[in-house]
Amino acid sequence: MPKSSNSDSFWIRHLLRRAGFGASPEDLQHYLKLGYEGTVEELLHPESVNDDALNHKLKLQAFDYTNIDDLQRWWTYRMLSTKRPLVEKMTLFWHGHFATSDRKVKNPYAMYVQNMLFRKLCMGNFHEMLLAVSKDPAMIVWLDNQQNRKGKPNENYAREIMELFTMGIGNYTEKDIKEAARAFTGWQAPATGFFFSKGQHDYGEKTFLGETGKFNGDDIVRILVAQKATSNFLARKLCKFFVADAPDEALVQRIGQVYMDSNYNIKSMLRAIFTDDVFLSNKSYHAKIKSPAEFVIGTLKLLQINELDAGIPQAMEKMGQSLFKPPNVKGWDGGPAWIATDKMMQRFNFAAKMSTGRFNEVLKQSTPLQIVEKQGLNNSREIVEYFLALMLDSDVPASTQKRLITYVASDINGNPVDRIPDEKTLDAKLRGLTHLIMTLPTYQLS
Amino acid sequence: MTISRRDLIKNGLGAMALTFGANEFFNLAAQAANLAPRIPGASKILVVVQLSGGNDGLNMVVPYSLGPYYQLRPTIGIKPEKVLRLNSDVGLHPSMTALHDLYKVGKLAVVQGVGYPNPNRSHFRSIEIWQTGDAEKIAETGWLGRYLDVCCAGKEDLFPAVNVDPMLPKTLFGSKVNVPSVSNIEDFRFLTDPQYKPDRDVQIKAFNDIYDSFHLKRPHMDLLRKAGIDANLASDKLHQLVKKYSSDVTYPQGPFGNNLKFISQMITGGLNCSIYGASLDGFDTHTNQLRSQEGLLKQLSDGLAAFHSDLKKNNLDDDVVVLVFSEFGRRVAENGGRGTDHGTAAPVLVLGSAVRGGVIGSHPSLSDLDNGDLKYKVDFRNVYATILNRWMNCDSKAVLGQRFDELGFLV
Repeated sequence: MPKSSNSDSFWIRHLLRRAGFGASPEDLQHYLKLGYEGTVEELLHPESVNDDALNHKLKLQAFDYTNIDDLQRWWTYRMLSTKRPLVEKMTLFWHGHFATSDRKVKNPYAMYVQNMLFRKLCMGNFHEMLLAVSKDPAMIVWLDNQQNRKGKPNENYAREIMELFTMGIGNYTEKDIKEAARAFTGWQAPATGFFFSKGQHDYGEKTFLGETGKFNGDDIVRILVAQKATSNFLARKLCKFFVADAPDEALVQRIGQVYMDSNYNIKSMLRAIFTDDVFLSNKSYHAKIKSPAEFVIGTLKLLQINELDAGIPQAMEKMGQSLFKPPNVKGWDGGPAWIATDKMMQRFNFAAKMSTGRFNEVLKQSTPLQIVEKQGLNNSREIVEYFLALMLDSDVPASTQKRLITYVASDINGNPVDRIPDEKTLDAKLRGLTHLIMTLPTYQLS
Repeated sequence: MTISRRDLIKNGLGAMALTFGANEFFNLAAQAANLAPRIPGASKILVVVQLSGGNDGLNMVVPYSLGPYYQLRPTIGIKPEKVLRLNSDVGLHPSMTALHDLYKVGKLAVVQGVGYPNPNRSHFRSIEIWQTGDAEKIAETGWLGRYLDVCCAGKEDLFPAVNVDPMLPKTLFGSKVNVPSVSNIEDFRFLTDPQYKPDRDVQIKAFNDIYDSFHLKRPHMDLLRKAGIDANLASDKLHQLVKKYSSDVTYPQGPFGNNLKFISQMITGGLNCSIYGASLDGFDTHTNQLRSQEGLLKQLSDGLAAFHSDLKKNNLDDDVVVLVFSEFGRRVAENGGRGTDHGTAAPVLVLGSAVRGGVIGSHPSLSDLDNGDLKYKVDFRNVYATILNRWMNCDSKAVLGQRFDELGFLV
């Protein structure tokens, strides 16, 4: 494939930002050995990758799945430490697609069960996924199907399954919604899990999207997954999530075709995306605004911070992404919507916390002086170049690099110095430098 | 030239190339100069409150005199004796005593049956219609964003409007302005390493220099630069204002009350800004709606009343009007879960000392329905046109694309 003129390493890092949450130096070594195509295949075949280290770590934490704070931390641990990053990324995709919030469900364990369902089916068949989600207890509570009964339909699930989960608005009528609601009557979820209540089900004939029959929810799902509109809708959403905030329309069409040709296989769509020329073009490089999950987990990986506290999910929440609590059934809008003034400030302040308090963990084994010595960095310019390359692919204008050098080559009162006077000043400047790099416009891009 | 968030989405990379060298947009000194305080009485302020999820208008302004209301809502209908009467036809939900008091002194107008042709029952499309003021096609800018484009063009204000909601509503998307969002003032401060206090100014100076000249051909670059620069400038300014505020008015606990209080802090502090956006979420009451809607309407009523009295104490109540709307009302008949599904028309509330209080228009029929839903009586753009023409002193046709008749809710 024509990966323009850049190196394999460049595109592997691009891939890992999109198909994962960035890469720690250790991860990167592993994937570089596999090469680009090898990395894509490993990401698509998580079952071939040993994830015992993560499982061991999770076990030690003894999470309480009935506690929402624990649940958030549990997921961030998975994102940070898994060797199967695409599984967690796709789980996040489905969480945003079938956006269900614990604010209403008020049952963290049901949210956990739903999350495990997303994880299990994340790269499988969309028909199977949609059917499983339609029977998922958290979803049934979230969109009120519990109250959808024969003769007294509740339209909530019927509407959203078409508007947000499959075809998108404009491809069905209000009548289709009413008929689909009848088909889903009796699909309930008491505490024990999915339950089909025969007494509450409307067995009558329905006409839905031009087909007529004594349809139940399975039939509605079957009809919906086969729609051309569904292939486009899902393809566009995947392209927005993985390629660009405003994806190339021809790419969307190609990926939609893969959906149809592969009998709704999600893995096939993903492979097609990651190996498409558009994905591997300069147009897609640093073309997406990082989501808070990408920003936070990516930063932790970069700084090799391995232990998480409640402050991590909270930081993501302040940036606009609270796991298990999407804003509404449409999920997170993503793209430019992540960049409100106050959300930007939250990113800066997370960066400040990482470069001050959290950085101490990184520095336990190596003082700033040791880092600089180990890397053979002799002056401000080399220090700035080293950290810009490490953290940001050096994707900044020359003026920025120059200004950062001026910053490092000054004392803590801002007076220029020929050489950094002491280790304390070096410590201040290294922390300040990493903070500033994380506030740069391009650091907000994936 | 400047470029908006919407243009970035629409045009992506292509448009980016045009904007390099757009330095005046980011000129810090020019922005700072525009921070002169607002002169009370010299301009008008609009606060827009969005009730997200589709507020059940029939249980907020109850048509207690109409028989079908109780037939169609056997378990969730509000009993006539509990209704806070506005006139012989309709009355407010019993939890809205504070707004009822303001109604009695002529500060609250209720516009009945507000909607638009061919109602859309999708939350997301219908809210977009209300936010953009365009019921036919998907517009890229909001009605107040266009107001700012039309009436405030040329002034690169830091605060053309302020959104206090966690999400910036499309209402405030303009093509020439970017509206800052500040949902929590406590967190809205640039942090640096507390160990090295003097380095803070050195860092911030580096940050500003870098952002001012960060020209790179990547998507979203202007949006990111503007947000970063605004974040620091706005944070300094807003912290100064909040410090000045001393009010003994009690707002209801929770984000909605806090946000109204924050808006009051900005207004009383003299922020030169004419539009504020806030929201209250949770109105999508498909199930067991009585209790959840009651709590929300109480927050709304208590919050707005506290806000009004706060402004009154500062002699600013004549300058401020509050508009309250939702994306749609709900189905007339209750569903099987003691809730209601998505519907159509609903009342709009307008509050303020400059408001001519009262009930405007007649209630939509409860027997002549469109597929179980109310037929709207008043186009929502009549409400917008009234506010634009009579309050914001702006030609509404330039914002709404056509002329809509004014309603009588402003003095």
